[in-house]
Amino acid sequence: MKTSLKPSDIANASDRLCHIEPGELTPLPPPYEDFNQTVLLPLKPEKIKNVESSLDDTVAIGIPRPASTEEEEALVRQFLSGLKKLFEKENNWTFLQPLLLSMEHCTRCQTCSDACPVYEMSGRKEIYRPIFRSEVLRRIYRKYLKPGGKITAKLTGDIDLNWATVARLAELSYRCTLCRRCAMVCPIGVDNGLINHEIRKLFSQEMGIAPKEIHDKGSVQQLRVGSTTGMPPPAAKDSVEFIQEEMEEITGYKIEIPWDVEGADILLLHNAGEMLAWPENVGAFAIIFQAAGISWTMSSEAAGYDAVNYGLWYDDVQFSRVAVRHADIARQLKVKKIVIGECGHAHKALSVIADRLLTGDLNIPRESAMVTLEDIVMSGKLKFDPGKNNFPVTLHDPCNMVRLMGIVEPQRRILRKIAPQFREMTPHGVENYCCGGGSGFAIMSGYNFAEWRNLVSSRKKFLQILEAFHDEPREAPKYVCAPCSNCKGAVRDILNYYHAEERSNLFYGGLVELIVNALDGMKKPIVHFGDKPSWE
Amino acid sequence: MGFYIFTYFCIAVFTLASVYLIYRQFTLPLHVRWEIYPVQHETAERAFYGGSYMEKVDWWKNKYETSCLNELKYMVPEILFLRGLWKENRSLWYISFPFHLGLYLMLVIFVLLLVQAFFTLWESSVFAAGGMVETLLSGLIIVVGWIGMIAGTVGSLGMLMKRLIDRALRSYSTVTDYINIIFILLFFLSALLTSLSADPFLNGARDYILGLLTAGTSRTAYVPGQSICGASTIMLGSLLIAYIPMTHMSHMFMKFFLYHNVKWDDVPNSRGGRIEAAVIKNLELKPTWQAKHVEADGQKKSWKDIVSSVPRETK
Repeated sequence: MKTSLKPSDIANASDRLCHIEPGELTPLPPPYEDFNQTVLLPLKPEKIKNVESSLDDTVAIGIPRPASTEEEEALVRQFLSGLKKLFEKENNWTFLQPLLLSMEHCTRCQTCSDACPVYEMSGRKEIYRPIFRSEVLRRIYRKYLKPGGKITAKLTGDIDLNWATVARLAELSYRCTLCRRCAMVCPIGVDNGLINHEIRKLFSQEMGIAPKEIHDKGSVQQLRVGSTTGMPPPAAKDSVEFIQEEMEEITGYKIEIPWDVEGADILLLHNAGEMLAWPENVGAFAIIFQAAGISWTMSSEAAGYDAVNYGLWYDDVQFSRVAVRHADIARQLKVKKIVIGECGHAHKALSVIADRLLTGDLNIPRESAMVTLEDIVMSGKLKFDPGKNNFPVTLHDPCNMVRLMGIVEPQRRILRKIAPQFREMTPHGVENYCCGGGSGFAIMSGYNFAEWRNLVSSRKKFLQILEAFHDEPREAPKYVCAPCSNCKGAVRDILNYYHAEERSNLFYGGLVELIVNALDGMKKPIVHFGDKPSWE
Repeated sequence: MGFYIFTYFCIAVFTLASVYLIYRQFTLPLHVRWEIYPVQHETAERAFYGGSYMEKVDWWKNKYETSCLNELKYMVPEILFLRGLWKENRSLWYISFPFHLGLYLMLVIFVLLLVQAFFTLWESSVFAAGGMVETLLSGLIIVVGWIGMIAGTVGSLGMLMKRLIDRALRSYSTVTDYINIIFILLFFLSALLTSLSADPFLNGARDYILGLLTAGTSRTAYVPGQSICGASTIMLGSLLIAYIPMTHMSHMFMKFFLYHNVKWDDVPNSRGGRIEAAVIKNLELKPTWQAKHVEADGQKKSWKDIVSSVPRETK
């Protein structure tokens, strides 16, 4: 297989453009060396016979193969139509200026490459370079949409546009977690993450192509049913009722999770996945808010109990619909502010991106839960016994919350107060590495994509976690604090995949669990190492 | 005279193209926020670790404040010494820095030559021949000129070699990338050869700039074409000026927008404010995206109409 690919090779006819051989991935340290020869299991031919799978060893979208040449040509035309729209203000006012600036000023210096964990961990596979897909799009744009492009292409970079190019580019846009580390290090300010985001939008908004987990089962389901988990409002209320009972068992006093309280100070928006996968997180928030005497509420309106906004990753229209829905629910409840729970992308979606979408009385103040929690923890309203958290703790920085929103220190100040053995990863803060589950990857598991995530995109985070605890004995229980649902899901999956609980005694959880664990007066610890909590 | 006309033309092209590029930025619609932290105009305590004003409880009750000083503390070393490249891509910095230094010093010498030409035309006693100001300025021109020419030649030669040798750079380099570097290399080489062969004190450059200001009518104005090297330096230098805004090299001034309008644009939207007015205007635009779930018609439905609805179709 050709190893030195160029952007123009994306159009070449071949069964697979990129393949990772055993031993090519960045090695893991002991006791994980047995994974160093592991590669993705090949997809069964019958599973992929009808979908596009010629990019690499996995499939994220599963685009149906066109039945004829005519159909291929029609899809290529559709792609070009969508590409044109990315550069029109009527269609893309949301990102037109950033896109134009990034398309026109890249010097191809490759500074971005070493910042990308996917590229680095893959064994530096060419197609995963941040610039690869950007350069493909740039060349198509110049050649096929700029006046005289077919003549100047020999000078500005040639590329053929065929169905292989289009299908591979669509898949390739789901090999980047949109962590935007590449953009942070670019000396000029070019943003390859943004270009990738725009490619995803083109496919979704013009061609209706997106992974089913983030579109059909994601934003569409959230708008129709109320949550990407599929839980309608009554089911959400049932889940919360169950959580209340469990929390009472732990805390020894009754907690009431308030629903639809008009005029409350705070509307708390959780990622609804917490209710199903990590109910202790929802319960811990309730304990803290109740103990601190906060005026707050949750909403039982459809989408009002689910903070997620998957549109952030692939579709401006779906993004806007969900953001408007969230704001409208808060407006109807007449709350003073929305507080976004431990969900990184929901932070960025509603606080930052939607800031230039919501107008008038929809522009309701939004605040990170990290900030609200710091205010409570530091206020002296609650009493803590940090000795209850006397085990090694490290903090994962969710990209959307930290690098892309600047919420860096509040969670650290809390941990310094309640976790005596807190230590940082290297690097951390705004220079952190993605968990590998960003931009939808944490919830995408079709074909063998989850395995690709565990082996490639989450690998850097796993190495960081191991490094953070390298001076601890194996038998000491260790806690990875990931204050974001998707990050938590990705961390859970890598710990399971690499058997890290058995081999390194590694556990994970959120921030509020640690806060409650350190609270004075709890009957039982909420943080469990090994023994399953009562709800599992 | 033809050389002067050519240079005037190139300067005019540079000005018009640059004005167009900058003007276009101001005509683009307000985009959504897409900042990356650290945002360097934050207060010193937060800029240090990359925090934002959103770290404060009820942040919207505080006045939005930025620190120009913090921004300058970051941008000055970034512009002058390419600090970002030093930190993130050291091996490239060793050749990119002299390359950029050479170009910067060409800009500096252009300004110094203009100053000298103004003084000469002004016939001020402050600038009398042999006086302190004249001696200092002349000396500065020689020093800056030589450093610039040597740094530029070494840097552009290094950049060319790096693109040819480094596989990662070569795979993504286009013919235009090579043309750009060779163009700049030829300019520096030409200037260096001119100075080495016949004009170590850069008198030709002084006279040419004086000639530019007087449309060639000055008594002491340089007569281009005295040497092939001198003529080619003028031609290449003029062409380079015109060419820069046509290429990605326009990042020399467009970087301002990449940073201020995107990477560091954290201005919050407040009710009744300038940003809200721009958002309302944007929401009136009528998209034509074709995917069914968007449900755009390009005729009646605006962004506002679409985002207030739930899609009937899923694809």
